[in-house]
Amino acid sequence: MIRHLFKLVWNRKRTSALLILEIFFSFLVVFVVATLGMYCWDNYKRPLGFSIKNVWQLRIETKKSDDQHTPEESATFARLLKEVKSFDAIESAAGAMGAPYEFGQYQSGMTIHHHDVTMEFNEVTPELKDVLGLRLVAGRWFQEGDEKLSWLPVVIDRDLARDAFGGQEAIGQRLDEPAPDGMKPKPGMRVIGVVDDFRRAGELSGPGNYRFDLKRLGNPDDRPGRIILVKVRSGTPASFEETLMARAQGVAPEWSFEVKPLTQLRESAFRLRLTPLIVGGIVAFFLLLMVGLGLIGVLWQNLLQRTREIGLRRATGASRAEVHRQVVMEQILLTTLGVFLGTVLVAQIPILDLIGFVSGRVFAGGLLVAMVSIYLLSILCALYPSAMAARVQPADALRYE
Amino acid sequence: MIHLQEVSKLYRTDRVETTALDNINLDVGKGEFISVMGPSGCGKSTLLNLIGLLDEPTSGKVALDGKAIDRYGDRDLARVRNERLGFIFQQFHLVSDLSVVDNVEIPLLYRKMSNKERRRAALAALDRVGLSSRTRHFPTQLSGGQQQRVAIARAIVGRPGILLADEPTGNLDSQMGDEIMSILEDLNANEKTTIVMVTHDPRMAEKTHRVVRLFDGRQVQ
Ligand SMILES: Nc1ncnc2c1ncn2[C@@H]1O[C@H](COP(=O)(O)OP(=O)(O)O)[C@@H](O)[C@H]1O
Ligand SMILES: [Mg+2]
Repeated sequence: MIRHLFKLVWNRKRTSALLILEIFFSFLVVFVVATLGMYCWDNYKRPLGFSIKNVWQLRIETKKSDDQHTPEESATFARLLKEVKSFDAIESAAGAMGAPYEFGQYQSGMTIHHHDVTMEFNEVTPELKDVLGLRLVAGRWFQEGDEKLSWLPVVIDRDLARDAFGGQEAIGQRLDEPAPDGMKPKPGMRVIGVVDDFRRAGELSGPGNYRFDLKRLGNPDDRPGRIILVKVRSGTPASFEETLMARAQGVAPEWSFEVKPLTQLRESAFRLRLTPLIVGGIVAFFLLLMVGLGLIGVLWQNLLQRTREIGLRRATGASRAEVHRQVVMEQILLTTLGVFLGTVLVAQIPILDLIGFVSGRVFAGGLLVAMVSIYLLSILCALYPSAMAARVQPADALRYE
Repeated sequence: MIHLQEVSKLYRTDRVETTALDNINLDVGKGEFISVMGPSGCGKSTLLNLIGLLDEPTSGKVALDGKAIDRYGDRDLARVRNERLGFIFQQFHLVSDLSVVDNVEIPLLYRKMSNKERRRAALAALDRVGLSSRTRHFPTQLSGGQQQRVAIARAIVGRPGILLADEPTGNLDSQMGDEIMSILEDLNANEKTTIVMVTHDPRMAEKTHRVVRLFDGRQVQ
């Protein structure tokens, strides 16, 4: 029977090709959306590496680029941090260049043991560990006196340790960053500790390399931070934002400020990453709906043209169930051809290594979801036409005129 | 072999009620070749459909091989059609998207057998009707007479005991019609196939053992 159906499909090239094409494109769309969804879900389940409970950010607007700073500004920043810490409502506060969930990032690349490593980095004061609840897995965190060292202590996350040093001990390793053109080279860096994977961009972002550099407050060479992250005592009212802002303005009247709970940044980050997924999902849903209705229509049309054939099959010994099965099998056959083409195309992604960030597991999951939903859709669409086909009265179908 | 007892068939459409067959009694013995004649619309096709288990009588009894079929389910009816009956139609009813040999194989698809056996049986049936050289053609590439021979091959491929032919020569010129008729006579004579044939043509009817005449749904002879 399968061979027979193959011949029918082959000899009806035009209709078959149309159906296969529809299935092929729906498969691709579902695959893309499902893979993106899987990617987000896969990331969501990974440990984040920090907690933003009761953490607010005080963002500083200096209207200057990071690299143009005066020693006075660095001193102002140090004073500001000290002032902020003096509030009773604030448990701890840390200076930094970037905040969790923020859109922009500081990127750096270097060659370590003859292999290129890229990473995101941040310059932070030692209090950050308490503010964000970082978990140390090896070595130590920054401590008092580190700012006086002749080299720059850095703490890296597990991903970076693995990527840069493989199985080797990371603590004590040197990192040398080439200085950008015309800039003073940073002092040599040395790894003093490793923290858990730190995914600054949030739950939906993929894993990546991360490095914390010590921000040396007393050092006029170090640029002022752009952000102060504060952990407020629980129960601190929202109105404290105003108080904090007023005090900051008092310390640095030439700068402007903005205070926001990190939960707000988290929300925007989620919205930013989920919106395309949701839009994609809705588009895919309506596409599938249209394709589904189209499939029913084409199948229906086919069967109308084929009532005589169906009547003949019934007259020569096909039972209702067999007619039903034949229509569904034909549809499964067409679906298999469409899905096969789609899989061949999609398989080029890992083969040619087109999208590095998608792991094998996520890829396979997206493929599976796409296959299952396309088969379901296609079988669902075949059910009604096939039931109608099974109901064809052979005597009527074969009547002359 | 075929037994019809007080068989009537009514068609109800909206308000019109047509009596297609009215109290028909008919027995056809094994190996008999009978023809059914009568004017258009008198119920000949309806009669053939009832014998062929494609339709159910409104009242009366239809029996094949001594078994009344009124209590058969769809699956059993399909099996009987498949194993015992072969149909030949005026319009051939070949599947245009299938080659000649694939058309002939259709009845065998509903039997448990290997692809090879199917192919062998289909080729043998095509040989029987003198079409061995046209097996890979498509129906539209054949003349009407050749198409009807393909249809006969399809009807006999499963070696049924009964052939039901509804005006098999109605669409053919007389020479092609004679060819078809001689194939049917040959099947009847050599394979002892029971044949019920509807025809308008008295020349064809003459060659059969017996003629059943219908008029307005009634048997007139
Ligand atoms: N499905 C049907 N519905 C309504 N009337 C039908 C149907 N089939 C046949 N008839 C009517 O029954 C009568 C007999 O039809 P048919 O057996 O096809 O005649 P014949 O084959 O002798 O020309 C005709 O009047 C026809 O119009
Ligand atoms: Mg008729």
